[in-house]
Parts: sequence; structure tokens; C-alpha cells
Amino acid sequence: MNEPEDKSAIEDIGCLQAIDALYAYLDGELDDPQSIAKFEHHMGHCRSCYSRTEIEQLLTERMRKSARSRAPDQLQGRLRELMNEIQDAER
Amino acid sequence: MTEKDDINAYFSREIEENMDALYGAALRLTSRGADAEDLVADAVIRAWSAIDSLEDRSRFRPWIFRILRNCYISDYRKKSIRPTESSYREEYDDDGVDGIAALLTEQTDEFLDWWAEPEREFFNDLLGEAIMAAIEQLPSAFRITVLLINVEGLTYDETALVLGVPSGTIRSRMKRGRTLLQKALWEQALEAGIATGDNHDRQSK
Repeated sequence: MNEPEDKSAIEDIGCLQAIDALYAYLDGELDDPQSIAKFEHHMGHCRSCYSRTEIEQLLTERMRKSARSRAPDQLQGRLRELMNEIQDAER
Repeated sequence: MTEKDDINAYFSREIEENMDALYGAALRLTSRGADAEDLVADAVIRAWSAIDSLEDRSRFRPWIFRILRNCYISDYRKKSIRPTESSYREEYDDDGVDGIAALLTEQTDEFLDWWAEPEREFFNDLLGEAIMAAIEQLPSAFRITVLLINVEGLTYDETALVLGVPSGTIRSRMKRGRTLLQKALWEQALEAGIATGDNHDRQSK
């Protein structure tokens, strides 16, 4: 997590705003440094939101590991053949 | 190497690198492996025929995701079937704190209490299969969004391109989808006897 230089200068957000930002934060989609600092600041003093974030992070990691699709070998072969055909056709 | 050879090599490399993501997105759109394979093949053919229109080579991935989406739409038009997106309910796409507040008011105190501090043991024991079963219970708009982002690893912008909706809508759907997923897991916890549904004092833990 980022460590802001002066935590007292960070505006406090409520739990609803923290939940609003939670998934974007976990998915790496919260790219504004101020929003990240506000979210992390709230996590620093709200036990309930901190706990929820931990569990959501765990769940996100489980999903990432669970079932990412892989192009079947048959499709991989088909696409390579297809690319050879369409590219050769223009030679 | 001629310019044509360079484009050929670039295109082949990009297809190789993005093959799994394209298949994953196609699979979530079509729900059938054979249809997904055909959709990816169509998108690759269409992408090659339009390769000259790709101005920024660093943007291949979003560019081909858009093509995949267009192929999906035109394929479904041919079959006279409405694409998945048209069945989405727009009222789910509200955004911001008001949307979250409205969502939380729909849920029971017991669930909200559990959601704030769910039993860690339950999540530690939760198998990938159980999570996927809970995802399958979600309405299609949320199911596809959660699958594309959290399982297939697409960004919010890429998911927006695949589903043909604004990025802000994807963010809203993630919030609601993940909240509904928690609710589905809560119901699993109840069925498994891990959660009792009693509103107890967690501060004493």
C-alpha cells in the first residue's frame, strides 16, 4: 500500500464511499493517487471495511486462480493454420 | 524484412499472445466452446482484413476485443437471436454511493453483519468450484462482467469493449455483481451451517 507523507492531510471518506471504491481498488482500476490514498486511509481506521476488503481480496485471488480459460489446442492449431492461409494469400 | 513481413510477424505474435484472452471472452459471450472457437476465428479473419486501420500498434488488444464484439453482434443478428447485452436490465447500471446505499438497504441485517466480518474459515475452505457455482447464480449482466474481469483477467476498459457498454457501467456492475456474489456465498454458508443467520455480537470475538 502507498504511504502518504502526511496522513492528517488526507480527507476521510465514509464507509459507503469506501465500498464504492473497493472493487476498483482491488482490480487495480483506481488509478488516481488521491482516491487510493483516501481509500487506504479509511482502511487504516475502519475495522469493518478493512475486514471486508481482506475477504474480498481473498475471494478475488481465488477467482483468479480458479478457472481462467485457455484456448483449446484445436483452436490454437486452427488459428495458426488460418493465419498462414490468409497471410500466404496476399503474397 | 519487408514491411509486409513485419506486419505478418506482428499480427501473428499478437494473436498468439492474446489467444487465451480472446477465447475466454468469446466463451463468456457465447457460453459454448464450439461457438467461442468459431467467434475467435471470425474475429481473427476480420482483424487481418482490417489490419491497415490499426493506427497504434500498442492498442492491438482493445482493437481486437472490439472486433470480437462486432463479430458476436453480427453473428447473432444472422441467427435472429438477441445478443446477451440487450437482455441486461438498465436499472442495474446506476452508479455511485447512492447505488451502493440502495443495494445495502435491500439486504438483511444478518447478511450485512456477516459481510462486514465474514468467517475467515469459510472463505479459507471455499473451493474454486463453490465460487464458480455462486457466480453462475448471478444475473447474466453481472455474471459475465465478474467472469471477464476476475476470472479471465480483462481490464474494465477491455470488458466495456467486449460488452459494448461504457466503462462506468462496468464499474457499477462489478460493485453490484460482487455484492450479489457475497450474498450467494452467504446463502451457501447458511446451507452449510457455517452461518446461522443470527445477528450476534461480533465485537466479542
